[in-house]
Amino acid sequence: MAKQQPVLTPSAWRPLVVPLLLVTAWIAYSLVRDTGDSATFTSPNAFAVAVAKDTASGFLPGAIAATLARAIAGFLIGASAGLAVGLAIGLWRPVDRLLSPTIDSARQVALFAWIPLLSAWLGNGEAMKVSLISLGAFFPVALATAVACANVSRPYLEVGQVLELSRRQEVSKIILPAAAPAIVAGLELGLNIAWLGTIGAEYLIGTGYINGMGDGLGAYLAQAREYARMDRILIGVIALALVGLALDRLVSWSSRKVFPWHRQ
Amino acid sequence: MVIKKGFPVAPAVAFGAADAGVEIHQLSKWFAVDENRVQALDRVSLTVQDGEFLTLLGPSGCGKSTLLRMLAGLDVPDEGDVAVYGARVERPSLSRGIVFQDHRLLPWLTVRENIALSLHKSGLSQQEQNARVSELIALVGLMGFDKAKPYQLSGGMSQRAAIARALAPRPRILLLDEPLGALDSLTRTRLQNELIRLWEAERITVVMVTHDVEEAVYLSSRVVVMESRPGRIQSIIDIDLPRPRKRTDVRLVTLREQILASLE
Repeated sequence: MAKQQPVLTPSAWRPLVVPLLLVTAWIAYSLVRDTGDSATFTSPNAFAVAVAKDTASGFLPGAIAATLARAIAGFLIGASAGLAVGLAIGLWRPVDRLLSPTIDSARQVALFAWIPLLSAWLGNGEAMKVSLISLGAFFPVALATAVACANVSRPYLEVGQVLELSRRQEVSKIILPAAAPAIVAGLELGLNIAWLGTIGAEYLIGTGYINGMGDGLGAYLAQAREYARMDRILIGVIALALVGLALDRLVSWSSRKVFPWHRQ
Repeated sequence: MVIKKGFPVAPAVAFGAADAGVEIHQLSKWFAVDENRVQALDRVSLTVQDGEFLTLLGPSGCGKSTLLRMLAGLDVPDEGDVAVYGARVERPSLSRGIVFQDHRLLPWLTVRENIALSLHKSGLSQQEQNARVSELIALVGLMGFDKAKPYQLSGGMSQRAAIARALAPRPRILLLDEPLGALDSLTRTRLQNELIRLWEAERITVVMVTHDVEEAVYLSSRVVVMESRPGRIQSIIDIDLPRPRKRTDVRLVTLREQILASLE
């Protein structure tokens, strides 16, 4: 017999406490002293109006869609390359010796330090942005995959020996399944970095008089800053946080579905 | 009940004779511990008869597990030879089933898939393999758990599945490395009786490592008592009591006391 669960148990609404307090403080502050300076402060009212307006005009949904599309495209390219390279490194010693030192060095370069190099070669268009995002996703995925494949626990490998598995069977029946949860953790991190990298790429590259504003949430924010629109700055930041959170939750929820023996 | 003290002499018959189950000849093994070489086994010689239930008993550090791993082919001796049914042991083989203290079932496979994995070299058709797996699941009393994943099983059930996996390819010898060591005493008692039943049903040779004296005398036809630093055979005790045995049998209790005294 299923017990009727209240929708909002204390532990269910507890995460909402801090956001609600912040909103309350915001409302209170706007009632006490709203300077009317839209460059530094926006009232909850003005904020709501701006959300409605930018949603109705398609400006905000368009920006979110553009950012998501870019992040996912960059992630797919970077993560695929990272998986391929990580598997090669993790499964073949010679490839490990060949590639690991180079990748470990390249990994030390901060993501946005690649901008000058990439923009010199690829210009400041879409190719450059997606390349930058791919690069951001590539390293964590490649590293996690290589480490996970190379460090499968000895007892499992001994099972493979005892069962006289061929190398091919050892890889498919033992190494890959054993490494899968750590590889997925690498993919989660890669997606997170792709998401952050997308905003950076849009903000840093898609601005300026030569290139125009570009699109996406990064460009939305850059524009808001340029025109001193505090309402849009807030909208952009909150949209980033919410969409990023949704992506993150979606990925960890699906990885729990795929690997039920993990995180038990 | 004959207690032979001291080192057993080398076998009189030619080494590698097919009629003996296991022949271990002047086997020594060292391990590197920090900078030092520690001798794990010192010139151990032992013959196990076909169909015997033999136990290697001793305190931790006496090299009993190392000896078993060399029978399995997971470790190689530094000196001396090991042959099982006339064939020198050089690598692990499905003809020598092994069960570890940790069940080592692959967590991403079901009970059925775990057992079936040991049949990949059996030459059986898919149907025959399915039938063989079902037979084993029934043999170890896991009916209805075909599709369970290892994390859904209790410790005792996992160990039953691990035993089924080791027995599936019909090995002539079953190597047990403290298989019941991690179980609670009720489950352990039940599985001890199961082991006897399986040994009698399958008519195979069993070599089991344990540090539980009562378990050793209750189950075995011979107990090899080992001493540590370096690992050596201290004595070999024949237990020619009829089966089924009673744990409270005064002769078993006396033997247990004798062995416990000799270990002190």
